[in-house]
Amino acid sequence: MKMAEVKVKKETNLSDPAEVENRIKELCQQFPHGITDQVIQNDLPHLEPQQRAMAINKLLSLGQLDLLRNSSGLLYRLKDTQSASKMKGSDNQEKLVYQIIEDAGNKGIWSRDIRFKSNLPLTEINKILKNLESKKLIKAVKSVAASKKKVYMLYNLQPDRSVTGGAWYSDQDFESEFVEVLNQQCFKFLQSKAEAARDSKQSPMVQRNSSFATSHEVWKYICELGISKVDLSMDDIETILNTLIYDGKVEMTVIAAKEGTVGSVDGQMKLYRGVNPIIQPTGLVKTPCGLCPVFDDCHEGGEISPSNCIYMTEWLDF
Amino acid sequence: MTAQEVRLCGLLLREHFGEVVEKVGTHLLRSGAQNLRTIIHETGISLDLVKKSLCVLVQHGACVFSSGRKGPGSPTEYQASSDRILRILRYPRYIYTAKTLYGDTGEIIIEELLQRGHMTMSSNVKTVADRLTQNMEEGRSMDYSEVSSAFSNLVETHFLQRCPPLAGLGTTDASTPATPATPANPTTPSFPDCYKVPHMTLIGRGKRQLSSEDGEEQRNAKKAKLDSDTHGDEGIYWQVNFERFHLHFRDQAIISAVANKLDQTSSEIVRTMLRMSEVTTSPTATCTKPLSANEIFRSLPSSYNIPRPILDQYLTLLVDDPMEFVGKAGESGGGMYVVNLHRALANLARATLESVVQERFGSRSARIFRLLLRKRHLEQKQVEDFAMIPAKEAKDMLYTLLSQNLVQLQEIPKTPDYAPSRTFYLYTVNQLPTARMLLQNCYKTVANLIERRLYETKESKRLLEKSQRIEAILASLQASGAEPEQLTEVEEMITAPEKQQLEALRLHINKLDSAENQVDETIFLLESYVNSTATPAS
Repeated sequence: MKMAEVKVKKETNLSDPAEVENRIKELCQQFPHGITDQVIQNDLPHLEPQQRAMAINKLLSLGQLDLLRNSSGLLYRLKDTQSASKMKGSDNQEKLVYQIIEDAGNKGIWSRDIRFKSNLPLTEINKILKNLESKKLIKAVKSVAASKKKVYMLYNLQPDRSVTGGAWYSDQDFESEFVEVLNQQCFKFLQSKAEAARDSKQSPMVQRNSSFATSHEVWKYICELGISKVDLSMDDIETILNTLIYDGKVEMTVIAAKEGTVGSVDGQMKLYRGVNPIIQPTGLVKTPCGLCPVFDDCHEGGEISPSNCIYMTEWLDF
Repeated sequence: MTAQEVRLCGLLLREHFGEVVEKVGTHLLRSGAQNLRTIIHETGISLDLVKKSLCVLVQHGACVFSSGRKGPGSPTEYQASSDRILRILRYPRYIYTAKTLYGDTGEIIIEELLQRGHMTMSSNVKTVADRLTQNMEEGRSMDYSEVSSAFSNLVETHFLQRCPPLAGLGTTDASTPATPATPANPTTPSFPDCYKVPHMTLIGRGKRQLSSEDGEEQRNAKKAKLDSDTHGDEGIYWQVNFERFHLHFRDQAIISAVANKLDQTSSEIVRTMLRMSEVTTSPTATCTKPLSANEIFRSLPSSYNIPRPILDQYLTLLVDDPMEFVGKAGESGGGMYVVNLHRALANLARATLESVVQERFGSRSARIFRLLLRKRHLEQKQVEDFAMIPAKEAKDMLYTLLSQNLVQLQEIPKTPDYAPSRTFYLYTVNQLPTARMLLQNCYKTVANLIERRLYETKESKRLLEKSQRIEAILASLQASGAEPEQLTEVEEMITAPEKQQLEALRLHINKLDSAENQVDETIFLLESYVNSTATPAS
């Protein structure tokens, strides 16, 4: 019965709970964004708060109303029938768990957290989770941070980067070979650029500037190389370049760039350049003592001493 | 005065001066300042020998004496310093530097001075001339004036300096309560005339020693020299100025670092700047005096024909470099530039630490180490993320570095009870304490190398003695004109495997020697860094 056209206020029998529920449902249909307690009260001024609460609870448990909260208070919204049918046959607890998981979005939620939020015992939770999984409503995703931990999220959601680890992880394994290959490729690119600049024999300022490469250039080069199955963003390339800085092979400067120049982020660009180490391997490491694993145990006259050191013997005969 | 330093000093003293001096020296190092009676009592060595050992130590500047604790009149106390004894390790480097800068003459002057400790100019010149004449062809000899001029050059550039005027220096009786003057710190002469060459009348040429019975001749000739000939410079003794050599080494290290990082021309510019400020900068200065670009341009060696604007570009590049070797101190005169000495030393020390970690633990651990040096404090998870190393391996490497004390753990509690689950654990690297630790490791390494060398020599003592005997026989036979068959007969007394053994021994000793020099380079860098960070005593 469409109440929108006929503005006739139907006298609701306030003592009949079913009537109250229907009225509330109609109000929800009228205001698809949701209705507050205030709206219901205005419509049914003689309704006692207790009866109103009972009706709302009934509708909620039947899964026909959604309870939301906004800045001014609670909102009740009509649940669309499709999702309502999904939950048919599930009981309250399952619906509660499902709601908690839905709220967790694409980061997923751990089973212990579900227990905290719903105050249900662990055995119940496990049963419900198994049930929901078999109904293909939720799925378990292994987190990359702790490999034994499983987070649950809705079936059709894409897990977030923090859970899967992003481009560097495939199936929860850190792809160290992939990172190594990228590392070497970036370094080769920067090194050849620096060499080309040095061989060009121009004035030193021009030489240095041409030996720099922006992070955008490196990103384009890596994409064109096609060694990566996954799409890499410029941020990913920057993390690789940072590891090269920590290897001492590359240095970075930041320059101000006009907004709109390709590759600039917030008016800045990062430039990278291959460099040489400033000293040769130091004298200490050219002796066996510098690399000796039992250095601290070595004393003259002891089991391990310079006189009977086998590392020294090998080194001397080399 | 750590245990490792004392051990190394003991070994060096034993090698260069003998066991008695070693005993006295190490005793003084361990116990601090002591007077003569205590030394005799505690080492159990006779008075005569102790006096002689102290004499040797004072002559070489390793020991100083001052009036006793209870004021003047109480017996003099003697104190040994380990720094001076550790310099013995660096003698080859000093001699080699003198050779590159001043030729053979300079090399032998420095060598003689290092062997004798303190010498007057005249005696030094005579000895050096004689030695040089020895190696020249028949009929030629070295003129004293050439040697004197080389000596004066060395003094002008401050490589040699006068000994501080302590009365009684150079006498054999070390127990006289001499008037101990300036709080004896013979390394920083702050008295005038320190670098003034005395006017000396010394004319003549080097005398060649006859090859036969040269031992006897030398001794007689030496006695004769000591007694006769005064040359107007009595009482003025000279010693090698180690600080100046160290400044030279430091400059060399900076120049080669710039050459590695940038290019040859930049390193030439830095070399010019350092040369210009050689004598105007104090040894402990943080950076050289500001030099204007105009001055640098004028002082560049003429072989480098770079136009002025290019020089300006090079200077700008040097200033912009993240290593900060050169800094800009002003705009007058086309730009005033300084070389940042302390920062350069810190960078070199840092590179040394990184190199040690890299060679010892691998390049991934080196990546973690550099990461921690840059970012100061990081959590376990952050280390894994930044270094892009799988969690298990990163954990393993961090714990290895932690157990070797190269990396430290800093706890930051969230709650007043330091509950482990509620505390932040941050990894960090402290450069200065780590450098000190590595320095001690270097001392231990050198001591190990020396001990191994002594052991190898001892093992093959019998063989060495045999070969020496055979050489002596050969030499005498040759001198008295024997036939070739006799010579070959004698040579065959050493069997082939013995020859091989001797050859292997020679190789081993050479390797150990050169290794000592290499470790000494590391010691120099780390010591300079640690000393540069020491706050100057006010």
